[in-house]
Amino acid sequence: MARYSNINNLDYTDDSSDDGLHSFNDNNNNNNNNAPSYRLTRYTRPLIDYVRNEWKTNPKYASLPTTNTDASSDYPRWVQILGSIITAPRFRRYVVVYTTVLLSCWLGWKFIVLPRLEEHAAILRGLDPQVKEEVGGWFGANALPRFDNMVQLRTLEPSLLPGEVTSESDQHGGRRLIFIGDVHGCKDELERLLEETSFNPDTDHLIFTGDMINKGPDSLGVVDLVRKYSASCVRGNHEDRVLSLRHNMIAANTMNDEFLDDANMHRGQYTRERELARQLSDEQADWLDTCPVVLNVGQIQDMGQVVVAHAGLVPGVDLDKQDPYSVMNMLTVDLDTHVPSSSIKGTKWTKLFNKHQSLLSDSLHETFENPESMLTTVIYGHDSKSSLSLKTYTKGIDTGCFKGGKLTALVIGDGGEQKTVQVRCNNYTKK
Amino acid sequence: MWISTSRWLPCLYGLVFAVGALAASDTDPDFKSVRTKFVKDYSGTGPSEPATEKYFHESSFHYHYDGRFADEELSEEETLPHLSQLIRTYLSTMADLGAETWIMHGTLLAWWWNQKIFPWDNDIDVQISEPTIHFLDEYYNMTEHHFDIPGVEGGRTYLLEINPNYVFRSIEDKKNVIDARWIDTSSGLFIDITAVRPDDAKRKNGDTGALMCKDKHHFDENDIFPLRNSRFEDFPVKIPFEYVKLLEEEYGPKALTATDFQDHHFNEETLVWDPVSKRKRSLRRGGAVAFPVRTTPLKYKMT
Repeated sequence: MARYSNINNLDYTDDSSDDGLHSFNDNNNNNNNNAPSYRLTRYTRPLIDYVRNEWKTNPKYASLPTTNTDASSDYPRWVQILGSIITAPRFRRYVVVYTTVLLSCWLGWKFIVLPRLEEHAAILRGLDPQVKEEVGGWFGANALPRFDNMVQLRTLEPSLLPGEVTSESDQHGGRRLIFIGDVHGCKDELERLLEETSFNPDTDHLIFTGDMINKGPDSLGVVDLVRKYSASCVRGNHEDRVLSLRHNMIAANTMNDEFLDDANMHRGQYTRERELARQLSDEQADWLDTCPVVLNVGQIQDMGQVVVAHAGLVPGVDLDKQDPYSVMNMLTVDLDTHVPSSSIKGTKWTKLFNKHQSLLSDSLHETFENPESMLTTVIYGHDSKSSLSLKTYTKGIDTGCFKGGKLTALVIGDGGEQKTVQVRCNNYTKK
Repeated sequence: MWISTSRWLPCLYGLVFAVGALAASDTDPDFKSVRTKFVKDYSGTGPSEPATEKYFHESSFHYHYDGRFADEELSEEETLPHLSQLIRTYLSTMADLGAETWIMHGTLLAWWWNQKIFPWDNDIDVQISEPTIHFLDEYYNMTEHHFDIPGVEGGRTYLLEINPNYVFRSIEDKKNVIDARWIDTSSGLFIDITAVRPDDAKRKNGDTGALMCKDKHHFDENDIFPLRNSRFEDFPVKIPFEYVKLLEEEYGPKALTATDFQDHHFNEETLVWDPVSKRKRSLRRGGAVAFPVRTTPLKYKMT
């Protein structure tokens, strides 16, 4: 047999015995016997010298490995062909590649594209006036309840607004509005942020999106700083809690004696908030009480009517009819009824709001020349989980400062020019 | 030895006097009437068994009238003014006492819509905290309170009645879920008062703010407190802090938005619920609000 000649010619033996396919198909005896001897001489010459076009001369390559098994001949020919295709390495590679591609397409459709399309359709449906009839009405039809010591709406002094165009001659020229997200008592970071924005008290006006106090290290310092610059503000859910507690403590005459908190048992677990309520001076608390639930900033070039609210607004409801609790707490909305919720599960209110404004914009373009002035842009805080979220009609600027995130300022200059400035914050959640 | 004798001798005298006094009295007084406080158990555990009897009964002609004070319903036009004065007199009494109270359930929903009682609903729900019900029971159970009311001759008298079973703090007491009533003795209309208590079972499991009522409603301290100050029927009222959340949880989002309810339509111009039926007129009339004025003095205050 040809095997025997290969034993003497070590060049070839080396090759054939290492070939997994043939060593098992052929009789193994020879290979086993000769293994030690050819391994010794194996690397006596450079590998390149051993390379031959062996498949031309060696009879063991005369038949293809896929067809040399006798067992397969029992099956019909088409099965054999199929089998040979499947066992071909290239085919298997392609199968793997194509299934991966198909699977990722399907997953992308199912978990990314389809939910977005569905959400988009649901939002459109949620804004359809016909659906309003079906569900019986939208949020905001009620007579808005009023609360003591809470201001619903204020309008910013128009002279504080930046100029309409960037020009030296404009009397409002060079003015800037600096909107600052949830500070939560991080006074050092606030001071650094003011430096970063090169804040000038003569030409710039500060507007805070609420939650200036509580959680962080120096709430009182922040209030004093903010008052020093006669800044504007809105009422956040933390101001709301602390101020409500403070008013109740004054009414119940428990302000001066913290041991009386025991008498407050089962009236809310607010040890930290009660402490802060006691620390606030009357002037500081009175100033915080003047922060409205909604601040109407006024018309700004390219942004329409700019409004500040701590958490959000329900689209299509007048500013003086926005429910205060919802304005300070909302994260999501129910698409059928537009009822806002502080729960994180559901459709973000910003999605409904942006869609509502863009639909309004489309319909206004048909009848008015300058519809932008009739649209509303909301600047808000509260949602540190979504971090910085700048959309066309909603600008979320709470970037979780007190928990080691950033403190963000949205600076609006002449001609409605916008830019964001951020500083890094220490993490104050660990004590 | 003589020291200890000097100690127990006065005690012995006291005992002799007490026994003598008991023996001297003609009638045999009921133990409860002598030791009024002993009806209640202040050990914190309360009675071990729920009462078998229902304390507050509804009248046979309508579930929201007290049959001891009326034999028929008021006409529709009369009901609403009576209810307005009922809630005003209650709120004013509690405010004068310094006793904390707030509105809940259907009344809170009515407040949400237009800060007025629903014209179709004569159920008024208010809540108080546990220290308050103890105080009311201690000093004001079965007290009558007279008010002068503009336009009502002779005014009206209201009765505060505490359900003695309020000391049984568990929902097992299914027959006595209402802890007190503020009753208009002229009409039999009343307000249901429920006490909100710490939910001991849930607190044991780590839910540190859990509150409950015997009517099986559960709350969290932080949902109710700090209370907000608003107005209801043009009168100062306290509102749970997270009112939107509470209303949505209890009634669903549509209760806050649907303008058609119980054959009434909410008029977004006048902000009043108008009857859908054309024959009926709105029961709400304009004009000056008639505020009740208390004539019965209040002796004890909570704060």
